Amino acid sequence: MAKVKVASAWLDCCSGCHMSFLDMDEILIDLADVIELTASPITDIKEFSPVDVGIIEGSVSNEHDEQVAKNLRANCKILMVLGDCACFGGINSMRNLFTIEEVLHRYYSTESTTKDSKIPSSEDIPPLTEVKPVNQVVKVDCYVPGCPPSAKAIHYALTELLAGRIPVLPSEMMRFD
Amino acid sequence: MGEITLTINGKQVKGKEGDTVLEVCQANGIDVPTLCHLDGLSDVGACRMCVVEIEKERRPVPACTYPARDGLVVETNTERLERYRRQILELIFTEHNHFCMFCEASGDCELQKLAYRYQMDNVRYPYTFPSLSVDSLSDYLVIDHNRCILCGRCIRACSEVAGSHTLDFSQRGWKTLVTADLEQPLGESSCFLCGACVQACPTGAIFSKLSLYKGRTDECQQVKTVCPACGVGCELNVLVKDNNLVRIEAPRLTEPRGPLCRMGRFGLLEPTPPRVTSPLIRGKQGELEECTLHKAVEVIVDRLAGVKDGLAGMISTRVPSETLSLFNRFIGEVIGSDSIDTLDGESYRIITNGIRQFQDNGRGLDIECPIEDIPEADCIIVVGADPEKTNPIISTLVRRAVRQRQAKLIVVNSSRDVFPLWTDLWLKPRAGSEGVLLSGLAGILIDKGLVVSGKASARLIKSFSRYSIGEVVRTTGIEEERLELLAGMYGQAERGVIIYGDELLRTNDASSITTILNLANMTGNQVGDRLRVISLKPRANSRGAWEMGLARGIKRGKLKGLYLLLADERDSGELLSWLKGIDFLVVQASYQSPITSMADVVLPSPIWAEREGKYVTMDGRVLELKRVLQPKDGLPQDQEVLIEISQRLGHKLT
Repeated sequence: MAKVKVASAWLDCCSGCHMSFLDMDEILIDLADVIELTASPITDIKEFSPVDVGIIEGSVSNEHDEQVAKNLRANCKILMVLGDCACFGGINSMRNLFTIEEVLHRYYSTESTTKDSKIPSSEDIPPLTEVKPVNQVVKVDCYVPGCPPSAKAIHYALTELLAGRIPVLPSEMMRFD
Repeated sequence: MGEITLTINGKQVKGKEGDTVLEVCQANGIDVPTLCHLDGLSDVGACRMCVVEIEKERRPVPACTYPARDGLVVETNTERLERYRRQILELIFTEHNHFCMFCEASGDCELQKLAYRYQMDNVRYPYTFPSLSVDSLSDYLVIDHNRCILCGRCIRACSEVAGSHTLDFSQRGWKTLVTADLEQPLGESSCFLCGACVQACPTGAIFSKLSLYKGRTDECQQVKTVCPACGVGCELNVLVKDNNLVRIEAPRLTEPRGPLCRMGRFGLLEPTPPRVTSPLIRGKQGELEECTLHKAVEVIVDRLAGVKDGLAGMISTRVPSETLSLFNRFIGEVIGSDSIDTLDGESYRIITNGIRQFQDNGRGLDIECPIEDIPEADCIIVVGADPEKTNPIISTLVRRAVRQRQAKLIVVNSSRDVFPLWTDLWLKPRAGSEGVLLSGLAGILIDKGLVVSGKASARLIKSFSRYSIGEVVRTTGIEEERLELLAGMYGQAERGVIIYGDELLRTNDASSITTILNLANMTGNQVGDRLRVISLKPRANSRGAWEMGLARGIKRGKLKGLYLLLADERDSGELLSWLKGIDFLVVQASYQSPITSMADVVLPSPIWAEREGKYVTMDGRVLELKRVLQPKDGLPQDQEVLIEISQRLGHKLT
C-alpha cells in the first residue's frame, strides 16, 4: 500500500504542537511505515507538493501566514489544524485587543532594550494582520485543540485519518490548556 | 405541595408543584447542562444551556425558569437541542477572552468543561475582542471582565447570599458588564469581601488573589472543618496541596449557615508573622535563644520551684476543648493554682451575670436564640457592637434581613454607625449611657402599652420608671422623638432581634444586658423559650471554655508567674500592658510577637490548621475541628508540651 503523504507547516506559534507531535516517541517509527512526510518546518521547503493530509500549527497573524495556509490548503485533500492557536486564535490573539501600531510600539519601543530603537520596515517583512484561527482563512476539515495537544490526541487524530475517518476528539481527550 | 407527573424523554417522572422543569430533571437524575444556574440561587435563564423542548411550545425554553406542570411532555437531549447548546457555547467563546492557557480557572472552569463535553474543537463565528478592564484594586478579589460570561451568578450570590447587592449589571446589550455599585472599583465599593461571588463564578472572571494559581481542585485534598476566626463556627471546606493552604470555600454556600466572611474565606490564607519554630529561653545576655524542648522544660521546672504563690494560667479560646480541658488540669493539678482565665473570660462573666440577674434558673447562654433567627427578623437593634469587625457573618445575616425581609435596622452606638447605608435609625448615645437608653426604651414601651400583658411585673415597671424620659434624654443626649421612633419600631416588631457585643460589654455593666433580656421578654420577642437576643462572642471556642469553667478570672495584683497559651492569636495588644510586671512569663505561641519577645520561655504551638478537636460555637453547637495541615517540622501539639512539663513535675496528665 502506498504511504499516505503528509505535509506540515507552522504559522504564528511557539512550535509546541510540533514538539508534541515528536512526543509520540516510538510511535513515530511505526507511523513512518505508513506516512511519508513530504514537507515540515524542518525541511524548510517553501512550496508544497500535493499531499493527502496537510497539518497546520499556529494562527494566521500576517500576510505570509495567510499565503502558507492557502498554499497548503490548495495542495492537500484533508486539512487538519493542531493546537489552540490554529483552532481558536490562541494566546497570539491577545494582541487583537490593541491596534497593530500599539503592538509594534510596545514591542520595539517600550519593551526594547536597544537604544533609539525603531520599528523595522521592509517590503520583505510581511505586514501583521488581525490574528485569526485558520478556519477564518481557509476551509479546515478537522481540529485537534490543546496548548499543546497531547501526543495521545495527535496520535488519535492521525489514526482516525489513516482509518479513513474525519477525527473528532472525544470529550475526555479535549484540552484547551 | 401536590405531586405532579411529567413525561421527560419518554419516561414518566414525578415532581412537586412549584418546581421548575430543571428541578424535576435533577431530582430524577436526568442530566441537563447548566451554566448560569447555581443550586440555591434564584434562576434567571441567562445562558440558555439548559434549553429543553416542550410539547406545544413553539421553540426551546430554558428548563431552569420553566414551571413544571402536571402532564408536561419534555425532551432534554434531542439532536436539535445538542446543536443549539454547542452553538451557544461558541457564541459565548467569541464574546470575551476565553483562551484557557493563561486563565487562573483553567481546569476548574464550568464553561471549559461544557466546551469539552460538546467537543467544541472550533468556533464558526468571528471573535469580537472587546478591550475590557481588569479590576484588581480590592484587597482580596480580582474581577477580570474579559473572562466574564454575564451569567449573573456573582450578582445573585452578592444579593441573595451576602445580602449586600454590591454587584449588578451595568450598560446594556453586548456592552453589559458586571459592576460594583455605580461602576466603582470593587475596592472602593460597598463590597464586604465575603467572597460569595468568587465561589459562585463559573469561570475565571472573579478570583481571589490569595489562591491565584496555587492549585486546581482536582490536585487538592479537601478537608471539612470549622472556622477558627470567630465564635459563630461556620463550616469550611479547606483545599490543600502539598501541605499548603490553597483555598477556602463554603461547603453549603446558599444555605442559612452557608456563607463565609472575609475572615474565614480570605483572612486565614493571609501571610502570617514568622512562626515560633523551636522552644526559646533567655540566654546569658538576656536574648532569647533556641533550645531543645527538654532544656526549656527544665528551665520552667527550675523557675516554678522559686515561685510558689501568685501563679496563674491564661489561654486563648481559639484552641479546641481537649486542649482547654488539659490546660485546666495543668494549671489546677500541676501548677497548683486556681487562678485561670481565658483571653475573653471577662466578656463571658458580664454576659452570664446579666443573664443571671434576669433569670437565675441555670439556663445561662441558652436563653439566647440561634443565629438563624437573624435573617428572619423584621426589626434588628445592634447595640454596642460592630459585627462587621468581630463576627462579619452576623452582619451578613443582618443585611439579608434588611434586604429580603425589609427588616428595620437600628444601630445604637456612641461613636459610629456600624451599618452605614443600611440603618433606618442610628442613635448615638453619650459613651457609657447605653444602659440608660435601654432602660428608657423599656419605660416608653411600658408607657405606650407596647408590652405583652403580664410579662412586665410591677417590680420591673418600677425599676424602669427609675428614669424619667427627660432624664433619659439628658443623660443620653438623644431627642425624645427619636427614642419614640425606636420604641415604635421595636415595640411593633413580631420578630425583633437585639444584638449586642464587645463595645457594650466594655462598659462593664451587666445590668444593661439584663435590660436587653427584659426588653425582649416584655415585648414577646421570643422563639419557643429562647429570647430573640444574641451576644456576639469573639473566639471560636470561647463558649466551650466558659462552659468548662476556665474563665474564672485572675487577680492581677498578686501575679508573679503566668503560663500564657497564646496559640495562633495574631492581635493581642491588649495583653501587653499588664504582662510587664510579671516575674516569670511562659508563652506558648504559634507566631513571634511582642508578647513572645517579653517571655522568659517561649514554646511552640500549632496553628488552627494543624490542630484537631472540638469547638463549642457561640450558640452552643459542638463542631469538629479537623487537622488540615501536618504540623511544620514536626512541631509538638500543645498537649504534648503540657504533658512533658507535668511529667517533670511528677504529675501524670493524659
